[in-house]
Amino acid sequence: MPATGRESSTVTVERLEDGVLVLSFLVPGRRQNVITEAVLVDLAAALDAIDRGPPPRGLVVCSGLKGSFFAGADVARLEALAGTSPGDIERLCAAGRGLFARLSAAAWPSVAVIDGVCLGGGLELALACDFRIATTAAHTSLGLPEVKLGLLPGWGGTVRLARLIGPGPAVEFTAGGEPVDGRAAQLLGIVDGCVPAEEALVSARRLIECQIAQAGHVARRKRLAAPVGLAPEERAFLEAVVSTVILGRTGGHYPAPATILRTILAGAEADLAEAGRLESEAFAALSTGDVSRQLVRVFRLGERNRRDPGVGGGDAPSPDAEAAPVEHPAVVGAGIMGAGIAASHLRHGFALTLVDVNAETLERGAAGILEEAAWDRAARRADPARSLALAGRLRTAVDASALAGADLVIESVLERTDVKRRALAEIERVVGPDTVIATNTSTNPIANLATALTNPARFCGMHFFNPVRRMTLVEVVRGPETSDATIATAVAHAKRLSKCPVVVRDSPGFLVNRLLMPYLHESVEMLREGLDPQRIDRVARAFGMPMGPLELYDMIGLDTAFYAGLVLDGAFGDRIESSPVIPALVKSGRLGRKTGAGFYVYDESAGQRAKPARPDAGVLGLVAAYALPARETTDRTLADRLLLPVVLEATRVLDEGIVRDGRDIDLAVIHALGFPAFRGGVLAWADTLGAAEILRRLEPLADLGVRMHPTRRLLDVARGGGRFLSEASS
Amino acid sequence: MKAAPRTPDTNPVVVACCRTAIGRAHADRGLFRHVRGDELAAAVLTAAVDLSGVDPATIDDVILGATQQRGEQGGNVARTAALLAGLPFSVAGATVNRLCGSGLEALARAAQAIVAQEERVLIAGGVEHMLHLPMDSAIDIHPRALARSSRGMLSMGLTAEQLAAEHRIPRRAQESYALESHRRAAAAADAGLFDDEIVAVLGHDESGALVEATRDQSIRGDTSLEAMAALEPVFLPRLGTVTAATSAPVSDGAAALVVMQETEARRQGLVPLARIVASAVAGVAPAAMGTGPVAATRKLLARTGLTAADIDLVELNEAFAAQAIHCIDALGLDAARVNVRGGSLAIGHPLGASGARIATTLLHALVADGKRLGLAAMCIGLGQGIAVLFERIES
Repeated sequence: MPATGRESSTVTVERLEDGVLVLSFLVPGRRQNVITEAVLVDLAAALDAIDRGPPPRGLVVCSGLKGSFFAGADVARLEALAGTSPGDIERLCAAGRGLFARLSAAAWPSVAVIDGVCLGGGLELALACDFRIATTAAHTSLGLPEVKLGLLPGWGGTVRLARLIGPGPAVEFTAGGEPVDGRAAQLLGIVDGCVPAEEALVSARRLIECQIAQAGHVARRKRLAAPVGLAPEERAFLEAVVSTVILGRTGGHYPAPATILRTILAGAEADLAEAGRLESEAFAALSTGDVSRQLVRVFRLGERNRRDPGVGGGDAPSPDAEAAPVEHPAVVGAGIMGAGIAASHLRHGFALTLVDVNAETLERGAAGILEEAAWDRAARRADPARSLALAGRLRTAVDASALAGADLVIESVLERTDVKRRALAEIERVVGPDTVIATNTSTNPIANLATALTNPARFCGMHFFNPVRRMTLVEVVRGPETSDATIATAVAHAKRLSKCPVVVRDSPGFLVNRLLMPYLHESVEMLREGLDPQRIDRVARAFGMPMGPLELYDMIGLDTAFYAGLVLDGAFGDRIESSPVIPALVKSGRLGRKTGAGFYVYDESAGQRAKPARPDAGVLGLVAAYALPARETTDRTLADRLLLPVVLEATRVLDEGIVRDGRDIDLAVIHALGFPAFRGGVLAWADTLGAAEILRRLEPLADLGVRMHPTRRLLDVARGGGRFLSEASS
Repeated sequence: MKAAPRTPDTNPVVVACCRTAIGRAHADRGLFRHVRGDELAAAVLTAAVDLSGVDPATIDDVILGATQQRGEQGGNVARTAALLAGLPFSVAGATVNRLCGSGLEALARAAQAIVAQEERVLIAGGVEHMLHLPMDSAIDIHPRALARSSRGMLSMGLTAEQLAAEHRIPRRAQESYALESHRRAAAAADAGLFDDEIVAVLGHDESGALVEATRDQSIRGDTSLEAMAALEPVFLPRLGTVTAATSAPVSDGAAALVVMQETEARRQGLVPLARIVASAVAGVAPAAMGTGPVAATRKLLARTGLTAADIDLVELNEAFAAQAIHCIDALGLDAARVNVRGGSLAIGHPLGASGARIATTLLHALVADGKRLGLAAMCIGLGQGIAVLFERIES
């Protein structure tokens, strides 16, 4: 029986012969069920209709879409909350909570059958049922990921979960935000059973029968209505331990986890109505705050990136540039970057050809690739069976002729122009006419390398970052003659490797290095003024960067940074100079972590995970040779000096049309530089500060040179009172 | 009776007892293949408290038997199960191991604490999930511990073969015994005689759907001597007499009994089912582990001044048919009074839980049949026996 008169209802209700009703959701036109306004309206109507009809024996709540219970609330709705007052948001939360509460206030028991993704509001809906059954299917996952958007569940989820599984586990689950599978959900007590998908309905009906027999739903409702206050010593312990963990993980920059802790602990001791009110109040406070606004925006940027074909106007694909699906990828060069790119292919199910002229490099590279691709994080070693299976998908050759059947070749040989040009010409000789050729380079202009090829239209840059397994950004670099089809293919392929591709125009340093270098450079300038290196890094971390600039230098390698710096110096020497300190360090053998010493000394036995032990006294001696006059520098000024030059460079990038959309800059700095997501990216941060404030902060720094001077766009935005990013377009 | 007279202050009484259905330890078909051992233990703790009506705040200790104390039964499962069951923090917990005798061991310890006038309210029981924690895994017996015995004694089945050979118990007699065990168990189950002792736990049926587990999974009312005769000997291929049909099935389950000082039970207005009269443990040669109940029972009878004829009902754990037959003969028991509701050959033998399981079944049978004295006895690997004597209290 249709629940509502509307043709397009997202809810259908079916009566089974034993009087059990099955209420299922299907949101049309979506790959995943999401809780839209229509879903809430239809659910209310369906419950009204059930109330008017003969009382059912029980209610099964499920999804009509395979593999998707509910992926959560519609994020577009969250974005729309931006202009809503906290009071109105609280009322919206209370309305949703009230609607869900009808499920466990009825005279009959209800069971949610969870097959597929069940996240956020979807899990809150399931929690509102008396019982839950999850399926053992691999696609079944249950989670409350709201914390990743700077929020907490707002439809009673924290209240119900704490009462169901205990406040401590509820805090861990909600503040962690990571989903679990059906079996883990059962162990946590979130679901009452976990069965194969085809047995879910019969299990739900049996559960209804045995609960009716024992009045189990009545007992559970009584239990869930009561507070679950912890013993005082348990509460104090939980609060102290979790607060410390949260502070360690968030650096105090993300308010949601601590709010979740406070809200759940307070709600656990309150009655249902008061606990719900506390949750709504917390949701309203978080959702109207800056951090959540930025995190929701960054989430939407990611969604937009996944839709963006990389050519055309940004949101619409241009009709003549269809991405050719890559089936036979190949990588040339088995060094660190080539191996990382190759491993990423294996992990994503590709069979791959790997060519390196040096047999020894090839052998070493292949072993490393298999180990990385077969890495079992839980066991902390490569899974031998998986490694063996993957070995069959990795074909290695010293001769370029092995590339003949490839439809995409990613060249990743030594970062030297002559070597790269020779390799590219060789590749073009053996591949077919439609093969896309990409170069992984950080410093070589695409235009220059393209002249080594007879058909430059099929050629582009695909700049991966080190380490490839962790760094999600790929700069897809468009040379002057690169075709739309080539770009579309490279972009689509990067996405199949779970990367975030950003298309940039060919220019020195492309996008990321150009924005990174001013930040790195300024740290060395301050060192020369006599500032303590650890203080510089601490201030950068306090801003939210994952590491300070001097630690980052050591991570990148001083030699690598030196060459990258030379390219930018050559192009933008008026403001991105190459510092004399870097070659001095290189000459003294301090190349960074890889040699055990850079700006800091490292314990070599601890490998890549070594913490910077202490500043190297020798470095301070080297720096002293290039000392600059000391300046009065507060922590605020220090942070401004590191980051405002990045803002200025970003405005130049915008003006030069290096990116197709300013939002790509924010996405790139978050993915590649670890720019704090809670600030929304470098331009979003600039907009938060406001152009006028940036001008005020730059003024006392003007004597440092062009690198601190306002750009035309900054002055224009300040004058016009506008923004760097027009939010209307996002 | 010779035992020292007890007063209500030193008299340990059982006020309630229950168990889960016993599931087959089968990876694809076991009722509890997706339920953990600690969950089974928590289920019987919760149910025992509910059934008895005892004030949870007055419980001093939980003592559970478990032979594999690791993984989901590790970290002191008596304590973790008590936490899982929501018992107050003030309830202590200890896990004990006397291998197959662990469940009775827990019960005897609880009784002793009351007799000694230390604790007053305890839950005793046991748990074993033999599918998740196989009986022979993670065990490393010192080779020199075999100096006075032999490696073969580590195989319980071989010790049963030895008993059968030594006491001339033919395969057919073992099978007839096992058939009777299934017949009695099936009849008891069909008549609902286990309904009061079995606590329903959600398990999974063979297709994986949720199902309330209320019937012991290994009982086969439809088995026959012909079917049994077709089986191969398990422990001594071709030559042996002991088969899967005449060995207790590996099983998953839990059981618990609320044991209290009689004075405290009366104070809380609870009705005692029976008192624990005495208990005894005994060691025997490891290779003759199946005779353990004989030694333990004789000790207990001597202690209490009773004879086998005085005992109304006996629950003798059936590790193997040969072993049970021998004990009945050696003790001169009346087979009609032994395992009146079938034994572990049919019901299953979740090692650490079985002692509490047979005590639970015994107490329900004493009450239902209006009998007075009941004996629970078990054989124990590496050569031991344990016996506990109950006297029903007329309410």
